[in-house]
Amino acid sequence: MAGLNDDAQWIVLMGFVVSFSLFFLAMILNQSTVVGQTTAESVLDFPKNDIRDVRSVIIHSSSLSDSAVVQDDIKAIALSRKGAVIQITPLIPPSGHYTSLYIHYNNGVTAYNEIWTSS
Amino acid sequence: MVNDDGQLYTIEGFAAGMIMLFTAYLVLGATSVYTPGDTHISDMQLEQLGTDALRMMNTPVNSTTDSPLQNITETSVNNPADAKKTFNMTFLNYVNNKTGSETDNLHYSAIVSYRNITDGNTTWSYPLASNRNLTGGEHPVRVTEWVIVDNKIGSNVKQNRSVLVEVLLWRD
Repeated sequence: MAGLNDDAQWIVLMGFVVSFSLFFLAMILNQSTVVGQTTAESVLDFPKNDIRDVRSVIIHSSSLSDSAVVQDDIKAIALSRKGAVIQITPLIPPSGHYTSLYIHYNNGVTAYNEIWTSS
Repeated sequence: MVNDDGQLYTIEGFAAGMIMLFTAYLVLGATSVYTPGDTHISDMQLEQLGTDALRMMNTPVNSTTDSPLQNITETSVNNPADAKKTFNMTFLNYVNNKTGSETDNLHYSAIVSYRNITDGNTTWSYPLASNRNLTGGEHPVRVTEWVIVDNKIGSNVKQNRSVLVEVLLWRD
């Protein structure tokens, strides 16, 4: 192409610029599935719903008359069905509060600890 | 020193360089091809949908009534057919409704896990409901919800117990 004719060099240059910018946009678009995978895997790996759910059921159990049985259920089922260790330790509540619990959750990847005090 | 000569040579060299770089990128990138199905994006959405549906079912309408899921689980001890019918209707209604008249095509299989006090505190499970049998070709996600029930589950005494409702959810 070079040497044949010197005319319209700017048009050719602009053509290249436009086509290469399209190439780069396509490469960026190509990354979207990989980015989506990383995001989805980290969301799936993090047991957000497990922790919220088990926390709310432990807090609910502390107000029941059969709380010891219910909490033994939670520990046994969490270990056998979800592979998570749960510890529930009653603490002496601060004055003016009824119940205080130490809640521990660990599924081998994520650990969660909380000292919960009833209002 | 600076003049206009050889501009097309420069452009041509530049274009050739870019084509070589792009080829190398494509060749190296071709070793791992991701399709949207590999990326677990739909799994994440399905898991969130199922968790939300179970949480809605486990929310009582007010503080003096039991949640629908608690009622279903308590019923499932003495009257499994009734529990299955109610669970099937409520759950499919929550997960399959979409905007517009078309419904989604989700299927599920639900079990209840409990601690058996009369059998050395081992964990047992029984089927709660399903609208399709698992054949092995599906790609289900598991969603769970803790339910506190007041019934004889795994013991001879009627008392508050905690059980885990587990649902395998898949789309086909």
